[in-house]
Amino acid sequence: MRVSYEWLSDFVNLDGIGPKDASEVLTRLGLEVESLNVIDLSEIVVGKVLEQIPHPKSRNPLWVHQVDLGDRVEQIIAGAPNAIPGSLVPVALPGTTVPNGKLVKDLNIAGYKASGMLCSAEELLLGDDHSGILILEAGKPGDSLESVIPSQATMDIEVTSNRPDCMGHLGVARELAAGLDRPLKGDFMPAFTGTADPPGRDLVEVSIDEPDLCSRYIGGVIKGVKVGPSPGWLQRRLRACGVRPINNVVDITNYVLLEYAQPLHVFDVKKLGQGEGGLPEIHVRRAKAGERLRCLDGIERELTAEMLVIADAEKPVAIAGVIGGEDSAVTEATTDILLEAATFSGPSVRQTAREVGLRTEASARFEKGLPAELALAGARRAASLIAELAGGTVHREWADVYPRPQEPVRVRLRPARVDEVLGVHVPLEEAESILKRLNFHVRALEDGEWDVLPPVFRLDVTIPEDLVEEVGRVYGYDRVPPTLPGRRHDRWNPSVPSLGRRLDAAREVLAGAGFTETWNPALVSGRALENLRVAAHAMRVSNALSDDMDTLRTSLVPSLVDVVALNRDRGRSEVRVYEIASVFLAPVGDKTGQPEEPLRLCAVATCGAEADSGRKAFYAMKSVLDACLADLGAPICTYQRASAELFHPGRCAAVVIEGRQLGYMGELHPSVLAAAKLEGRMIAVEIDVEPVIEAAQIPRARPLPRFPAIERDLAVVVEDHVAAAALQAAIAEAAGEFLEQARAFDEYHGPQVPDGHKSIAFTLTFRSPERTLTDAEVDKVMADIRLSLEKRHRARFR
Amino acid sequence: MSASTELTKEALGAIAKAHSDSELETIALDYLGRKSGQVTRLLSGIGQLEPKKRAALGQAANEAKRTIEGALAARRAELEGARLADIAETEAIDITFPGAPLGRGHIHVLTQVQRQIETVLENLGYQVELGPEVETEWYNFEALNISAGHPARENWDSFYFTPELLLRAHTSPVQIRAMQRIKEPPIYIITPGRCYRRDAPEATRLPYFSQVEGLAVDRGLTVGDMKGTLLFMIQSLYGKERKVRVRPSYFPFTEPSFEFDVSCGICGGSGCKSCRHKGWLEVGGCGMVHPQVLRNGGIDPEHWNGYAWGFGIERMAMSKHNVDDIRLFYESDLRFLDQF
Repeated sequence: MRVSYEWLSDFVNLDGIGPKDASEVLTRLGLEVESLNVIDLSEIVVGKVLEQIPHPKSRNPLWVHQVDLGDRVEQIIAGAPNAIPGSLVPVALPGTTVPNGKLVKDLNIAGYKASGMLCSAEELLLGDDHSGILILEAGKPGDSLESVIPSQATMDIEVTSNRPDCMGHLGVARELAAGLDRPLKGDFMPAFTGTADPPGRDLVEVSIDEPDLCSRYIGGVIKGVKVGPSPGWLQRRLRACGVRPINNVVDITNYVLLEYAQPLHVFDVKKLGQGEGGLPEIHVRRAKAGERLRCLDGIERELTAEMLVIADAEKPVAIAGVIGGEDSAVTEATTDILLEAATFSGPSVRQTAREVGLRTEASARFEKGLPAELALAGARRAASLIAELAGGTVHREWADVYPRPQEPVRVRLRPARVDEVLGVHVPLEEAESILKRLNFHVRALEDGEWDVLPPVFRLDVTIPEDLVEEVGRVYGYDRVPPTLPGRRHDRWNPSVPSLGRRLDAAREVLAGAGFTETWNPALVSGRALENLRVAAHAMRVSNALSDDMDTLRTSLVPSLVDVVALNRDRGRSEVRVYEIASVFLAPVGDKTGQPEEPLRLCAVATCGAEADSGRKAFYAMKSVLDACLADLGAPICTYQRASAELFHPGRCAAVVIEGRQLGYMGELHPSVLAAAKLEGRMIAVEIDVEPVIEAAQIPRARPLPRFPAIERDLAVVVEDHVAAAALQAAIAEAAGEFLEQARAFDEYHGPQVPDGHKSIAFTLTFRSPERTLTDAEVDKVMADIRLSLEKRHRARFR
Repeated sequence: MSASTELTKEALGAIAKAHSDSELETIALDYLGRKSGQVTRLLSGIGQLEPKKRAALGQAANEAKRTIEGALAARRAELEGARLADIAETEAIDITFPGAPLGRGHIHVLTQVQRQIETVLENLGYQVELGPEVETEWYNFEALNISAGHPARENWDSFYFTPELLLRAHTSPVQIRAMQRIKEPPIYIITPGRCYRRDAPEATRLPYFSQVEGLAVDRGLTVGDMKGTLLFMIQSLYGKERKVRVRPSYFPFTEPSFEFDVSCGICGGSGCKSCRHKGWLEVGGCGMVHPQVLRNGGIDPEHWNGYAWGFGIERMAMSKHNVDDIRLFYESDLRFLDQF
């Protein structure tokens, strides 16, 4: 909402309060001034054109003026021809910077001196008219332009949705007056009513078919208006607030909208279809299927049965609360008008505005929910201005259909509540004074409670807390001392480290291993998930912004593949990244319930294109995962051959802890990389982390060994299909109590190993907790191990 | 001159000429070795000697041994001293040569900032609460006093799956869930998490972002308590010189409602380019929990009241780390992420 400082001063004495001070007061009261724009006209002077001739030498059409500046006459050249002799014009002399930022200099144009500039409205930021020089209505040559047009300051205020009353200057001025503790000039309800006969309600027939969507409709008839331009002061105020002047009648409706926040509309009465009674009719009803309306913006719109319209006896003439129709609009030829001031339901106007794709100054106000009492105030104000500025005759006793009268809401307040909620002592008299300044009626009851009646334009105040807020914001929240709550509690919840904090142990491991954490959007392309065949449980957004963000991801892997692709594009070849985030899995069959949201850890690392570098990278990733799980306190996990979407069929493992499958680790399927146009190979792991945390245990110290260990290496040659884990299990079983650890450390294919076989080297560590083992004892165990491996896995030894 | 004196003199001469520990080791072995050392050998025939000579020889040999050992130790110390005296030159390295990169990865800056916020509030006794990102209409809107026709609803334009199911527009639903779960105040929680709003991506906003909200429900909480909590949080994160201001605003779920600002860290509040000459930077929203919202969480507003606040983690990280485009956090360009 753009507010003119000068307009505010109609309602509140702003002596000593500059635009900046006013902005600060309003911001403190809750009307946040987002920007303050000041147009300084004090350096511009008024000139009177004495003579105007075409420039004799210039090829472009230019005009040479002699301008009387009071104490002297200067020659000024302009491109526009409208500053004819006798005109009063704004002059910017050399050295002046005009409000639009242009610095004026002495010029010489084709041999003719130009000592200044005649300004257009646009150059002075007084409007968008740049077609000609701004011609002034008054002024004395040599005086500052400020003597004719006050310097302007406008504020852009963010009005919260509960305060539609502040979407007009009067409401803003009321706040300012309360904040400054100065009186508000003028009453909310203007006294003006029409006097002409016959009564207005006999000149038009108004009915409301949908009282839930339109609680009040006032139609005032004004005859004999003279449509023409508005006076300059009114045009300037409209322009200052970003509204383009059209004609006096329309301008007045816009003016009252900006002043009272009550949207109004005017129809040319003679263009409204008459009913059987011979009167122009107004029906507030829903549109009928197939009805269309050419609107004031020149666009013809199709209407739906959801939309509320204003119709005459036959057809819609306006979309209620949004925009009027072209055919019934006021034109230069109009003499008799119907002034509409109505109250439409907020949700209905919002929905209609959205459907027709048009948000107007009117709809923006109706959307917030306006009080019906405001309609009468706005109508009276507009009628009085029309009578004054357009010369109309206002008929008495308007049509006023008011099926849902506004009920007053009284609020009980225990005055001590103010201090209790704010945490500061506000003297009773001050609290009462604040409420009164905001036009609340306060009546103290016998039991000490206050019976408070909010003003009719404050539909937002319904509970005691609302009143506390009114007192607090005017009293000033900067006067509330900051404190920390501290009380004696006999109940509490013991502190538990958060899931995120516990997962930091894994983050540390990953950082040490060269992985950088990423946060990627959860909304991804549904099509991409389908192409990767991981869309079975995907949930699709019904109102997506674009199709690359239309579906919730079911796996973190595709996001990280994209991260690799992006970083490859930007010149990084080796990429190690991870993410910890939820994926979303819609329940099978029931697509309406909330999805499962397992929190996952996913890491990916790039590696070379050869099969062997993929193999090595697989084992490297295994080390990283093992370290993460170990630092999270989880028991040892096992890796079981598996197959899964996204993974290489021969290089994929299920990660299992205590019989529970956490997820998968492996090389990504070549087609996944191909889809992302990536070369080389990539290793990924994606696991659920909540089971890991649940399985986590506090590490317990074991006594340090007191006797030395004996280490033996064993190279086992077996057929390719035999898994290292199977050998390891066989070793453990055969070795008995003295085997402390058996660790596979090398896998070898080559000349010394037959085709279809591999050699796996183990380091075995033997130790007794009670004594030093002898070589002979260990030799015997080794022999048992060999025998067992030979029998069970047809192993040979190198 | 006795044999032992002769040997001692010879050994001392050799020791004086020795220039390394290994030479000294050889000399020690040569003279004092347990089997074939020359001094040791002097004593080899001692058993056959008469007791008086035996004693004299033994004494002489022991003295020779002590003298040689003393000289060896002295020479060792001398050589070590000389070596240490020189290492400034002999072992000098180019300390300006860079270390080899560790190849470490980095924890995401938003994780870091989120954790800092959590730590500060955990120190005040708040606990982290989490909740689902796909929420029901009731938890996301109705329970928070934002009914279907509410004019403020447009501030939370949301992504829907069905008319009943949507991506949460704020972490406030977690507050309702926490009240329902904990049931009996005191409740002091914070709710970090991802949120979604239907805004086209640009430098200052994204359709997805992360929030931290806080909720306190207790007896007799005040606006002053809320201000103090915010001030503690801001000063802990940004420094003790920072100030906090609350400005009246409007949210359907709090009454009174506020926006809270922090004094600009660059100009200290006097106004500069980075705070757009306001002296204050907007951080988030806050207020006293609306009685109806407490009721919706199963808390009786006759006995308890509360305050709540919320803000975007990205905004916090942007002002703390001088990031000018919110999209950088989610773009995953390692050149950005590896800076933190």
